[in-house]
Parts: sequence; structure tokens; C-alpha cells
Amino acid sequence: QVVDMQAQAEGIKTVFSDPTNFNVKHPLYSPWTLWFDSPATKGRNLPQTPMSAFPPTPGVTTPGAAATGGWMDDIKRVISFDSVEEFWGLYNNIVPPSQLPQKANYYLFKEGIIPAWEDEANKNGGKWSIQLPKDKNRGNVDRMWLYTMLAAIGETFDPHLTQGDVANPPQSLITGVIVSTRPQFYRLSIWTRLAPNGGDEEAALRTRIEGVGRHFKGTVLGYTEAQKLSGPLATEVEFLSHKDSEKKGKGAKKIVV
Amino acid sequence: SGVAKQDITAPLPSALATARIIDDLGSVSYPDGILSPKIELNENAQPGKFRYDRDFLLQFMSICKEKPDSLPALDAIGIEPSEQNFSLSRGGSGR
Repeated sequence: QVVDMQAQAEGIKTVFSDPTNFNVKHPLYSPWTLWFDSPATKGRNLPQTPMSAFPPTPGVTTPGAAATGGWMDDIKRVISFDSVEEFWGLYNNIVPPSQLPQKANYYLFKEGIIPAWEDEANKNGGKWSIQLPKDKNRGNVDRMWLYTMLAAIGETFDPHLTQGDVANPPQSLITGVIVSTRPQFYRLSIWTRLAPNGGDEEAALRTRIEGVGRHFKGTVLGYTEAQKLSGPLATEVEFLSHKDSEKKGKGAKKIVV
Repeated sequence: SGVAKQDITAPLPSALATARIIDDLGSVSYPDGILSPKIELNENAQPGKFRYDRDFLLQFMSICKEKPDSLPALDAIGIEPSEQNFSLSRGGSGR
């Protein structure tokens, strides 16, 4: 009560104490950009195009979309945001995955990183993903996508900072998260900046990557640690480096949690 | 306040546009019944660089409903709800 009065005296009003006239907002650790594509965005000269419709963000260099061989041409930049309050304004005014048409994707990436393997931040990385049969998960996918986004923007996929990290915090492993709708299934993915390549010296990285996967499977998706998920149209929670994905399975080393 | 001095023909900026960034979570107190962000997530945090747990974040869902000014018209960028799924959710028998 005493603290409340003090805060009031200082004039700090969050959205919880005054939903219309709040004067402080909760910054996100990183700014984020939402991107979208679907058959409806392909080959259409839509008014909003990714690189030209928005002023560039000062201090952030977005690698040329040209490097992606046309991959980015049909992907539309929806919005960028950097606070918890703005995230929810977006969430409450956009179409959830269960209502998207087939072959649509939302890509939520840290600002300045485009949702493509070719981006500097992604090219040495990989992804955790799970594929879920559509008919059994129509009622789950919206919650799973929301929880995936919340873990991303809340930055809870990365380990807590220790005192030794304060001066020089380790770079986050997460670059973005994706939900995809397909005729028979949904896919949720978490993209990482790095991927272990099997060497002994990379044990620490592998441990961190596996930590991301376990958090995804357990806390975010709500499965138990030992639960087996694969079946018709379904996969386990699996990690694959982008380099191995490009090889289309030949010699690919999957990690499963 | 500054707002009162503005030209009355200009639309008032939204609270979101004028709110300042919290740089010290410890300076904020929440009303009774609202959870604070988990302390252990922000030990050793730098000013304005915070992590938030899901339970904290979910509390904003029913409050922050205003459409962001910078959100383009969804149909203009191809985001349109699927007709098929709408009819399914309205009691259709599926396939």
C-alpha cells in the first residue's frame, strides 16, 4: 500500500492501473518484426512490400533481400514492435493460425534479421521444429503459437544471466519463431543463431541448444519430457541445422528431445 | 500537462505512443492481484533489458486490445481468415 502511494506520487501508471492513460510501458529485450506469406501474397503487387514500405530502422542493417534469390519477394512485413503492450495490441487484432488459409506462414523474427537461411544471423544456425496433424490440433495450435511467441519475446529460451555475464551478456541463441499451416498439418519452429556440428568442443553449445528444445517441448507446448509425439503426420520435437536441411536428409544429424 | 497545450484539431497521441519505457522494473508497483515479472529472470538485468515469464505476459491480453497505429490493413497484405475454417467453427460437420 505504501509502495502504491509512492508510485502514484511519482506518477508511474502502468496499463494495469490505467488502461487508457498509462504513461509507462514494458520494453522487450529485443525489438521484433512479424512477417507473413501465403499463396495470396505470391506474385501480387501488394501495396506493402517488405523493404520499401517502412522507413529503415536507424542502426539496424537489414541484409539485402536480393541475397535470398527471390525468397523474400512474397513475404510481407506486417509490423515491428518493442514493448509488451504493443505485442498484445497486435495479437488482439490479427488472424490466429487456426483461421489462416493453407500454406500460410507467420515469421516473428528479431528486428534486422530476415526469416531466411541466408541472413548472417541464421546461416550458421538451425531450427527446433514440431509437426502436428491438423485435425487433432486445430484447437491447440493458437495456444501453442501464442506460447511460442511469448517465450521468444520474453526471452525465456536463453539461460538466465549470471553475475559474470553482466558486463558482456552472451548473445541470445534465438533469431525467430515460425508457424506454418499446411493442408494436413501445422508446423512450429524456433530458429537458432548457431547449431552444433558434432565436435567435442561444442558440447556447451549442444547443451544450450538442447535446453531450448526441452523448454519448447515442455513449458511451451505442454508435453511431458518422456512423451513420444511422432505418428501419422506428426514428428518429435527435432533439431536440424540449416546446412543439414539443405542437404535434404543426406547425412543429417537430428537432435530429438 | 503537455497534452492540454496541443492543437485541439490534432488527434491525441495514444498512450502507447507517449508512454515511456520502464528502465527499472523495481520502480514499478502493480495493483493487487497482478503478478510482477519473476524476479529470477531479471537478476543482473541491464536497464530496459528485461525478460518476462508467460504468466506475467498473459495478464496484458485482456487489457491491451487497441489496434496498433502502424498495423496495415490485413487484407491489403494478404492476411485473410480462411472461409473454410470459419464455416467449420460455426458448427459445420467438417469433412
